[in-house]
Amino acid sequence: MTAGHIENQIRTLRFLQGEMTQAELGQRIGVTRQTIAAIEAGKYSPSLEAAFRIAEVFGKKLDEVFKWRR
Amino acid sequence: MTNILDSSESVPFREKVAWLSLLAMAVPYGPYFTWMVLHPPTAPLPDLPTMFLFGVTSISHALILGLGRAWLRWRCPDDARLPADERDQAITLRALAVAYQVLILGTMLTGIVMPFQTGGWRLINAAIAAIVLAELVSNGVVVWSYRRSRS
Repeated sequence: MTAGHIENQIRTLRFLQGEMTQAELGQRIGVTRQTIAAIEAGKYSPSLEAAFRIAEVFGKKLDEVFKWRR
Repeated sequence: MTNILDSSESVPFREKVAWLSLLAMAVPYGPYFTWMVLHPPTAPLPDLPTMFLFGVTSISHALILGLGRAWLRWRCPDDARLPADERDQAITLRALAVAYQVLILGTMLTGIVMPFQTGGWRLINAAIAAIVLAELVSNGVVVWSYRRSRS
């Protein structure tokens, strides 16, 4: 298994959405603001469903929000 | 501890509940087991003074937990209303899986091994200790998991 990690653009996308708060994003996809903070900081990898929901909120494709880096 | 249990934005509600559960276990059961180690009960069962001490300990635990949870709900009403999300559920599952191993080990010791060697309050206290330890491990894993994904 190759080592790697998931990067995300959530912080940037929140800014581009008029500084959408973590709480607001969390509310829209059904998780707490602390979970959004953990995802944003790369400390928690969301489920595929939550990842798709986040991408949908920003009107982006999944790989525009989350990227796998080696 | 007060800071953690208070309405800090970065601390998830369920981590606060886990801290409270650790506190509610440690405060009454710490002195209880210390007393039992220093003064092991020798009277035959039911040994009412020891039973009374255990009763007071259990009621103290329930009171701290009940009042603490009510206080947390009052301090953070919005967070308390939110259902567990996927991270909360994953953390709970991990904590239960680890605590289950502790509980199984405790059950084997107190239900299979120890009855051949001892009985009375020594055996009862060992069983109580196994339950308390499993609960401490469960809440400890919850706290550790939340803190690890925050720092």
